[in-house]
Amino acid sequence: MRSDLNEIAQIDQYLFRQFTEEEGKRFEARLLMNDALVEKVEAQRLAHRLIRLYSRKKERDRIEGIYRQLLEEPAFAHQLKTIFF
Amino acid sequence: MTLQYDDPIIELYRESFPDFARMVRRMGGSLEEAKDSFHDALLIYLEKGKAGKLQLHSSPRAYLLGTAKICWLHTQKKGAMLSLPEGFEAATPEDPDTEEREQKLLDSLQKSGKKCLELLKAFYYDHCSMDHIAGRFGFKGRRSATVQKYKCLEKVRKEIKITEIYAQ
Repeated sequence: MRSDLNEIAQIDQYLFRQFTEEEGKRFEARLLMNDALVEKVEAQRLAHRLIRLYSRKKERDRIEGIYRQLLEEPAFAHQLKTIFF
Repeated sequence: MTLQYDDPIIELYRESFPDFARMVRRMGGSLEEAKDSFHDALLIYLEKGKAGKLQLHSSPRAYLLGTAKICWLHTQKKGAMLSLPEGFEAATPEDPDTEEREQKLLDSLQKSGKKCLELLKAFYYDHCSMDHIAGRFGFKGRRSATVQKYKCLEKVRKEIKITEIYAQ
């Protein structure tokens, strides 16, 4: 794997706390001396937030789709109607 | 959206939601509120299941009803003492500026690399194995799927950097 991809893999290990204690300390020492690496770590942290945001939106759309589909079932729709109306 | 009728979530929804809706109605809530809280709870249930962190002490239905009730009480500001499962912030509003910034970034990513987002979702959110991902996305094997995963993460990182530079 390309060395920059290896670095991405290492940042993942750091963000997901998959390093051993010693590896973690070594990585944090590199962070202290390397501003560019700090920037990459922060961008990757944000990337993971965006992946989660995207994934949750897709999952919520799927759940909404199930609700709309169930509303087309007369028995289900009738149950809700008797509860709220 | 096409639904898969063998999806067990549909059956779980069908058999649980009316009881939860009844509970919310008794507590003075609306159908919309019941649905929103139920969807939050279902999301928690699905996410924990995918991450292998779902510890059921009763049936999935009982878990779902209990979690949905906590979510609803949270929306009514009555649930301050009840905590949502660890790491779950879907029901908690974000800082509006952060939310707007992240949404803009996501919009631009969706335009430029939907396939990458789907691959990253499969690994980081759905917790699919690399073998499964290789098969689904047409890679030779787990090694090339792994390389592609990191290339996609690199692409997202670059997109973040470009968007941030333009925003400044």
